[in-house]
Amino acid sequence: MPNATTLFLAAEPVAGAHAVERPEVMALTWLPAVTALVVFVLAFGFLYVMVWPKIIKGLDDRDQKIRREIANAEQAREQANAALAKYEQELASAREEASRLIAQARADAKAVAVEFRDRNEAELAEMKQRAIRDLETARRAAITELHAETATLAVSIAGRILKREISVADQQRLVEESLGELAGVRKR
Amino acid sequence: MFLLAGDVQIDPTEHVRDVVLLKIGEVPIVTMHMVTLIAVTVVFLLVMMKAAKAIATGPESEGNDRYMTRGRLGQIIETMVVYLRDEMLAPVLGARDTKRYLPYLMTLFFFVLFQNLFGMIPLADILHLFGVHQTPIGGTATANIMVTGALAVLSFFMIELHGFREQGLKGWLLHNCGGLVPGPVYLLPIALLVFVVELAGHLIKPTALAIRLFANMFAGHTLMAVLLSFGLVAHHGGMGLLGIGTISVISGAAAVMVMFLELFVAFLQAFIFMFLTAVFLSLMSHHEQEHEHTPPEPALEPASA
Repeated sequence: MPNATTLFLAAEPVAGAHAVERPEVMALTWLPAVTALVVFVLAFGFLYVMVWPKIIKGLDDRDQKIRREIANAEQAREQANAALAKYEQELASAREEASRLIAQARADAKAVAVEFRDRNEAELAEMKQRAIRDLETARRAAITELHAETATLAVSIAGRILKREISVADQQRLVEESLGELAGVRKR
Repeated sequence: MFLLAGDVQIDPTEHVRDVVLLKIGEVPIVTMHMVTLIAVTVVFLLVMMKAAKAIATGPESEGNDRYMTRGRLGQIIETMVVYLRDEMLAPVLGARDTKRYLPYLMTLFFFVLFQNLFGMIPLADILHLFGVHQTPIGGTATANIMVTGALAVLSFFMIELHGFREQGLKGWLLHNCGGLVPGPVYLLPIALLVFVVELAGHLIKPTALAIRLFANMFAGHTLMAVLLSFGLVAHHGGMGLLGIGTISVISGAAAVMVMFLELFVAFLQAFIFMFLTAVFLSLMSHHEQEHEHTPPEPALEPASA
């Protein structure tokens, strides 16, 4: 192939290339070095005074702000945790107290019920005893009265006997009257 | 190094090398990289001022909003600063030195980053399409070994000043003897050797910084130029339209991919330059020897109000 493209090292450029002077790659041209030194030192001085303090202060301010906010948040969290723990403790105490009160109330109610029952039973027993005593008293009184009435009748009967002769019919009538009175006494 | 296409030579480094803009006699006075350095630095300062305004704490009347960073530019700068400060510098330098060197290291990072990123804009090539064949501004200043060397020299002085400040002259000398002095007399020659090696290391470290940044930026842009010039080479080589088109499409796609890689490299190299400076600073701290046996310093706390 004619005019084949080849790539190799050549010593010099051809004439007629761009007519500009280009120093060699490793040429010790001091002007760029001095320029770089001066430009960098001036730039550094300017930035050191005008720029970096603002940037560093801005970053530090924000760091401090974030640290402050985090510290505040931590403190708030700790306070919230403490309040929650206290609340839970109080809630547990209240529950315990309520349970205790309920148990106490149950025990009291039970005691009162037992007391009422005992008292009622005692009162009933007393009322029964009293009734029995009353009945006994009444019975004794009745018997005493009966005896007294019987004695009175006997005396009366004896007096009537002593005053007149008692026929069979009288005798019969007296007995019946006595029995009738006795029955009346019993009914009373 | 040139691409030779038929009888035409194409220099892929043409777009990377500096251009002399003004000469007095045979002495160059103004070059394109000088102008680029200044112009990009002005843009850099304007951007940083805008970012500082966005990040700075606002007036109290704004309430909690005064702590908010306003605008995406400020948020991007802030994100980078906070990440580099808290995740990269503080673990290496400790809280005190991070605070002390943050302005320098951040300036270094953003300065290099802006120069790197500006170098990715094919300004000269765009203007070339419009018939402007020589522009005073363009190229990548950090692809110039003298520029990266100057930045490395600054870092060198910063590192050594930090070393003297932290350790004093005697401590600095002892530090460079590798812990062999004071020690047995028979170790003195070895201590001397270590001292010479350490001294060389003081120079090698910034030199490596300069060469690393320069080489990465120069090589990346040269690779891109080589890829993009394949079509031209094919054209001058006498290939047909189909061949030129095919080569151009393939090499163009490859150049786009390399462009993304270069974008990453622009950030990476700015970070490496800044971070290695921080590492070298920390190595010169007087508590260097204790680092292996002590827990890391606490995370960076904000300055007290």
